[in-house]
Amino acid sequence: MKIGPISISPRTIRNLRKEFRSSGLARIGVVLVVVIVLAAAFAPMIAPHNPRTQNLDRAQLPPLGFTDTEQRTSTEMVNGSVQTVTENVTVNATAQHPLGTNSLGQDILSRAIYGARTSLLVGLFGTVLAALLGVTVGLTAGYYRGRIDDALMRTADVSLAFPSLVLAIALIGLFSRFQADVAIAITDPLVTTGVAGSFRDAVGLPTPMPETFVLPTVVILVVGFVNWVWFARIARGEALSVREEEYVKAARALGASDVRIVFRHVLPNSITPILVLATIQVAAIILLESALSFLGFSGTTLSWGFDIAQGRDYLSSSWWIATVPGIAIVLSVIGINLVGDWLRDALDPGIEGEGGM
Amino acid sequence: MGYGRFLLKRGVQGVGVVWGVVTVVFILRFITPGSPIDTVAPLDASQETRQRIAEDLGLDQPLYVQYLDYLWELLQGNMGYSYISSIPASVQVFQKLPATLELAVAASVVAVVISIPLGVISATRRHQPADYAATSFSLLGISTPNFWLGIMLVLVFAVELNVFPTSGRAYGFMQSLAAITGPEPFFTVVTAWLASLFLPAITLGTYFTALITRLVRSGMLDELSEGYVRATRAKGLPETLVRYKHVLRNTLVPVVTVLGLQLGTLIGGAVITEAVFAWPGLGTEIIRAINARDWPILQGSLIVIGTGFVLLNIVVDALYAYLDPRVIAE
Repeated sequence: MKIGPISISPRTIRNLRKEFRSSGLARIGVVLVVVIVLAAAFAPMIAPHNPRTQNLDRAQLPPLGFTDTEQRTSTEMVNGSVQTVTENVTVNATAQHPLGTNSLGQDILSRAIYGARTSLLVGLFGTVLAALLGVTVGLTAGYYRGRIDDALMRTADVSLAFPSLVLAIALIGLFSRFQADVAIAITDPLVTTGVAGSFRDAVGLPTPMPETFVLPTVVILVVGFVNWVWFARIARGEALSVREEEYVKAARALGASDVRIVFRHVLPNSITPILVLATIQVAAIILLESALSFLGFSGTTLSWGFDIAQGRDYLSSSWWIATVPGIAIVLSVIGINLVGDWLRDALDPGIEGEGGM
Repeated sequence: MGYGRFLLKRGVQGVGVVWGVVTVVFILRFITPGSPIDTVAPLDASQETRQRIAEDLGLDQPLYVQYLDYLWELLQGNMGYSYISSIPASVQVFQKLPATLELAVAASVVAVVISIPLGVISATRRHQPADYAATSFSLLGISTPNFWLGIMLVLVFAVELNVFPTSGRAYGFMQSLAAITGPEPFFTVVTAWLASLFLPAITLGTYFTALITRLVRSGMLDELSEGYVRATRAKGLPETLVRYKHVLRNTLVPVVTVLGLQLGTLIGGAVITEAVFAWPGLGTEIIRAINARDWPILQGSLIVIGTGFVLLNIVVDALYAYLDPRVIAE
């Protein structure tokens, strides 16, 4: 199989298959990832409610299988004097809101489904950005060695000395005077025109709910920028070893330019560990995004981290508001990590450790 | 290259990185929108007042003069004064630091105490129930956002069971030490301190427990297949000695290096753990400083964190080189 200049050998595919068959965990990972991706892509069709519609009459409904007692106070006239009466009212779950509702009466299941979009988009775009930046730096450093290598790797050291989360909140907080600056609204291409749109028209589904989807652009830029260093370290190591190979020396002897050598020979031969790292980084960036939106440094309110922050204020009365989005994060990150483990075991790129939050 | 020269080289590199950190922190203020004058001056300040504030803060000087001034003041331990409270930034930062260190150390202790035995058991009983339990736990641990874990722990242990406080820091390590001779009953003080530390430490420590368990497990599996293991066994060494004296020791050396690089993750985790538990440390201070645009505090905190990271990594490298002299040659 050939993708651009990168060819995947039949042996690699065989290893992937073998590992997939023998490892139950790899299969669980793939299933989880597929479910999350489908939820994100087809959110408007799957979600039973508009995730933003508020309904205070239906606020804080418990998930199916649970009941909740709520204290309601009312004032009544008793024997000619006004008295406050407190009574315990049992609140039952309803099948219309299988996972309950939050303090604004928004459907928790629908918000969890839409939250997958934010997490996956930020995770994917952030990782691509970090990889582009890091791999370029790493390959340059490893290929040229010497002074360029020293300068680039010292820059990487400086970057490592700032914890990602701290640097990210500093950048987002400082570059936006108001939190609203952080995001721009884009018309949701998947819903209106894309695959999902034509599918919806074909089966005659009703109009999707939110027509616009907020893409937290600044968050993507920032999470990509704070995580490049892990890619740089891996790419540099690969470049250092590949540059000594005979075929690279041969290409150089034939007069190939440095750019050509790096892109045609060094990069394709370093792609395995970069791919494995990228998989793990998607998980790390999803965790980072959730932390940022939990702290309020995010451009969108349709995010798992944001919902956890909201639910935290209702912990003693409605535990499910903070619990459900957290489970969604854990399941997606477990899925991605399992896929990462599968790729690592099957491709054996010889890397250890992982980029953290 | 001898050990001394190796240390010297790492030291010089470290100073370079710290200088880089300071420079980035300095530049950050000039590329972000808004001027410090807006933070300091009242909204209705006259042009003269703003001019005077600019002069006070040295903002009327050319950029390179401001930079050299900043470096010179830093070398004397002066990080400027908080724009909000006018307290020296160094004082404010170092007042908040112990609470964060306490949290980070407690989390590390939790992580090391649990993870190393877990990793060893997992590797030596591969494909047995204990291994599956440990692997599942560590997968869950590295996949759970620590702030959510913290909230769930509060839900169970503070809201429902009411055995630990929901938030805040009671006393602290130094006050607990002082209570030995102080008027307050020692036992009460220490219990309150540890109770307030317990949930935050678990919250922050879980990710690292899981991470180290994974590293120890895979490292030990690699080591167990090495030739020297068979040799020591053939020599008749008891299995426990083989495992703990030889294999575990060789496993831990690279683990420590990975952890040195993950120190940033620990600090980042501490920031958000502090936010969950209203822990009065550096993380809470940083978020406050960002929102208030209290530049000296933010810059001071970042410099302290960056310097700490560099110092600890030098210590790690020095230890690594001492345990495995081959590193020096590379």
